Amino acid sequence: MDKNKLREAARNNIVTIMFIILCAVCMIFSGYTPSYVLYELFGRLSRNMFIVLSLIIPIIAGMGINFALPIGAMAAQISCLLVLEWGVPGIAGFALAVLLTIPFGTLFGWLIGKLLNKMKGQEMIGSMIIAFFATGLYQLLFLFIFDNIIPINNPDLTIKGSKGIANTMDLSKAGGIASALDGLWRLPFHQAVLVFAAVIAVILLVGYVKSHKKNPKKLGIQIGVLAVAAVVAQTGPVKELFSMVNVPMVTFGCVAVLCLFNVVIMRTKLGQQFRAVGQNRTVANAAGINVNHVRIVAIVFSTVLAGWGQLIFVQNMGAFQTYGAHEQVGLYAGAAILVGGASVIRATNTQALIGCILFHLMFILAPAAGKNLFGDAAIGEYFRVFICYGVIAVALVMHAWSENARKKKASVQ
Amino acid sequence: MRKLKIKKTQVIASVLIVIAALICGGVGLYGLSARSSEKGNEILSNMRLQAILDTAGTGAVDAYVAAAKAEATARVREEGGGMTEIREATAKAEEEALALAEAEGIGSVDLTEIDTVPLADALNVLADAQKAYFEEEAAAQAIYIEEHEDEVVADTVDDAAADAADASAEGSADGADLGGDDAGADMELEEETVDLSGFEATEEMLALSAGVDQAYEGLCVEIKKVFPALTDDILTALKPTITNTVAQQGDTFEKQYDRALSMSGMNPGMNGTIMRQGKTLATSAVGLVILALVVLFYVPLVAKTGVPRLIIGLFYVLLCLLAFIFNLSLPGQISNTLVRLGMNGVLVLAMLPGIQCGISLNLGLPLGIIGGLIGGLLCIEFGFSGWFGFFFAVIIGMVIAAGTGFLYGLLLNRLKGSEMSVTTYVGFSIVSLMCIAWLVLPFKSKIMKWPMGNGLRTTIGLQTTYRHLLNDFLAFKVLGITIPTGLLLFLALCCFLVWLFMRSKTGIAMSAAGANPRFAAATGINVDKMRIIGTMLSTMLGAVGIVVYGQSYGFMQLYQAPRQMGFLAASAILIGGASTSRARISHVIIGTFLFQGVLTLGMPVANALVPQSTISETLRILISNGIILYALTKSGGASRG
Repeated sequence: MDKNKLREAARNNIVTIMFIILCAVCMIFSGYTPSYVLYELFGRLSRNMFIVLSLIIPIIAGMGINFALPIGAMAAQISCLLVLEWGVPGIAGFALAVLLTIPFGTLFGWLIGKLLNKMKGQEMIGSMIIAFFATGLYQLLFLFIFDNIIPINNPDLTIKGSKGIANTMDLSKAGGIASALDGLWRLPFHQAVLVFAAVIAVILLVGYVKSHKKNPKKLGIQIGVLAVAAVVAQTGPVKELFSMVNVPMVTFGCVAVLCLFNVVIMRTKLGQQFRAVGQNRTVANAAGINVNHVRIVAIVFSTVLAGWGQLIFVQNMGAFQTYGAHEQVGLYAGAAILVGGASVIRATNTQALIGCILFHLMFILAPAAGKNLFGDAAIGEYFRVFICYGVIAVALVMHAWSENARKKKASVQ
Repeated sequence: MRKLKIKKTQVIASVLIVIAALICGGVGLYGLSARSSEKGNEILSNMRLQAILDTAGTGAVDAYVAAAKAEATARVREEGGGMTEIREATAKAEEEALALAEAEGIGSVDLTEIDTVPLADALNVLADAQKAYFEEEAAAQAIYIEEHEDEVVADTVDDAAADAADASAEGSADGADLGGDDAGADMELEEETVDLSGFEATEEMLALSAGVDQAYEGLCVEIKKVFPALTDDILTALKPTITNTVAQQGDTFEKQYDRALSMSGMNPGMNGTIMRQGKTLATSAVGLVILALVVLFYVPLVAKTGVPRLIIGLFYVLLCLLAFIFNLSLPGQISNTLVRLGMNGVLVLAMLPGIQCGISLNLGLPLGIIGGLIGGLLCIEFGFSGWFGFFFAVIIGMVIAAGTGFLYGLLLNRLKGSEMSVTTYVGFSIVSLMCIAWLVLPFKSKIMKWPMGNGLRTTIGLQTTYRHLLNDFLAFKVLGITIPTGLLLFLALCCFLVWLFMRSKTGIAMSAAGANPRFAAATGINVDKMRIIGTMLSTMLGAVGIVVYGQSYGFMQLYQAPRQMGFLAASAILIGGASTSRARISHVIIGTFLFQGVLTLGMPVANALVPQSTISETLRILISNGIILYALTKSGGASRG
């Protein structure tokens, strides 16, 4: 019985397990020290986790992986451009960009939702093509509308000697918003663990007091684990390992809030509707849910969240490619969440976080491992690109496979 | 037959448009006829004269001032002054001379006050001489380009190699951003230009050039009569300016007019403006008439062609009219479009069996393309060339593609219903897997390998194997349009074979299996087998398509390049009128022609509108993805449940 369960679990998480092995192999051959890898990893996690988490709501609403995430990123980049143009610096500028992203993201998300409602069952390819199409519109906007029809007065933003927005947008100049969020509050790793453990413990306690079914055993275990983690982080070797990590507290705080949001919204009426629509559109429709509306709301949420994620990304990087920064957002985020064990119909916060860690670990390690194994860094580069696409392809194939098997079984019965 | 219903508003709108067209056309035709009339000629030649006299006048003032300066210097020197005095004196003299020139009107002249007839005559002689010279030069250069066409290829390959070497040095940076979608940029057919630095003037040109000099001297005599202060030296110095004002190579009426206008600063008046815009107005009239017809017959047209095809068709007509207005060489553009039709046609044709057998748009086309690429690589590796090399590449490509297509078909049979998203990502991942393969495969040929480092080049020149083999086969020129006979024949042959197959028993069974799998299964058709056959055929045509594409383009593109090709082929067949479940040969031809036509014409027209813009690239993204989106929204699933 136990053995069967184990096998079942292994089969369900085959991608994750393979990825763990892959990362371990890459780690051995890369020749990096663990503390350097952790430093790189925390940098990447702080800027990428938010976007990956924005994928969860559409997956639960049955729309698969939202490959139209780049459009959310475009909304963020438009806001960024406006903030730079108005010259609002630092955290105020960042907050303004966050606010601006809401109307843009809502508008774009609504349009995407409208389109996706016309191609039910083909949402993933549809959202991908929508993102491609939007790239064209975005180019039109940035090359031919901004600075031509809408004047841009900040000379740093435009192409010198021609019209249109420059190729790179530098946020680190005076009046920029580089590191606006990251720089607010940074702590060394061991202190950061203490803070987070304390916050989580408080949240757990509040939840315990408010919940109707009191389960002191569970609470005890959870608090115990937190305490152990906090103590372990203070020990010498662990401190040594994380010596290079400087945690941007507010950024990770935002990620934690989003995780909480993803959990809380599923307990609301809207969340229940997401789930109902995701499980079966026909049944949901019969139950009086406006399916099309719920789907649009899910995409709007995802688009706005992706926009905020992109803002976190660009403020961390300090600069971005105006015409390229958004293109791969959907691909990376989609691959990351699938690596964590999510499927196109089921996804949780934990899967997103684990996936993000594994995926970016591979991203850091693959080129160096490729260089040491084959004498050519390009092989590692191409390998990780292959993995990105390959993971998505495998996940889609396995989903379609099980879906067809289920249908066949249903029709036989 | 259904009676044609036309609403009143439609009639009113189209009548209004026709009236506008008539006004435009009338005024435009008047402008065009005015160009050759005496009055029109007078306007242009007056402007030209004014421009030249202004130039000469500036020269005259300069000469006057210089003379005054020299005089002042001489005077001061006689009085025994030093350098400072000389400088002061010359500055003062210059001021005085300029004021005097202004007051006496040395540098300016009023056309109404002088006898312009001899000047205008001299000017016309010069213009004619220059025209003859430029015609001769253009002809001689065309001959030169034709003779040296082969050298161009060698040059470009060297450049490509150099670029590629740079790229490999920056390899890590390139890989980091996954190459993005810039594969599309690579696919733009670059215009081949011959380096004219080795070009030498022919004897005829020299003779005509002497004629130009003579005519200029004649003009100088007349100008001197107006400005006695002008010296020969100054006139010689002014020669390039004046001759450039009069005529330039590849001049059109519009360019001449604009130049004369901006140089002279004259007010051309109503007549002049009408004359200048005559062609634009007349062309707009044609466009408006077409628009009126479309408005009038909107309903049947949409029913017959569908909204997107109508929009793109109209857009193509608009581009043609714009190209005419901007004086872009239409025959050249049409030849380009024909070549592109032939080179992309087979790739687009590869979509057809896929759609017919029920796997929808085969966005996994890169699988077949890779087979064709391997065929081409083997052909280079073994040193085959010519027809044998071409067919070797085609056959090897087809064999490999048949194998992958079979496996691919097996996979697709287990994924019925979600083929498109899966095939896209399977295609993408195979392309990236092959990127690694291109780096490690043990090819030996020096043509294909980087000069330094590992692996194959990103673009491999085909001039030693089968470059332009089909393009040049029986190619001929009609009205300046080069017809790539071999290429078009090959496309026709492929279309014919597919058409034959579709009419065969297997083909009909395949279409039935695609159209209604349940019904087909009930009539005893093996649906899975038919789907595999369709997928294999599609993949194999993809392999043939890329070989044809390569021979026409002159290069094979490896690495990320094949990734977007599936999308481009899919959008072409959809533009032709196919849906995600039904397609015909005519859709392939019409779609490829329209799509490639818009792309070929779009680039020069966009450049004429907004110089050095990338708007045509943006256009490609919008059209190609827009049409796929449209097809997806039409493919069903609009129900609420």
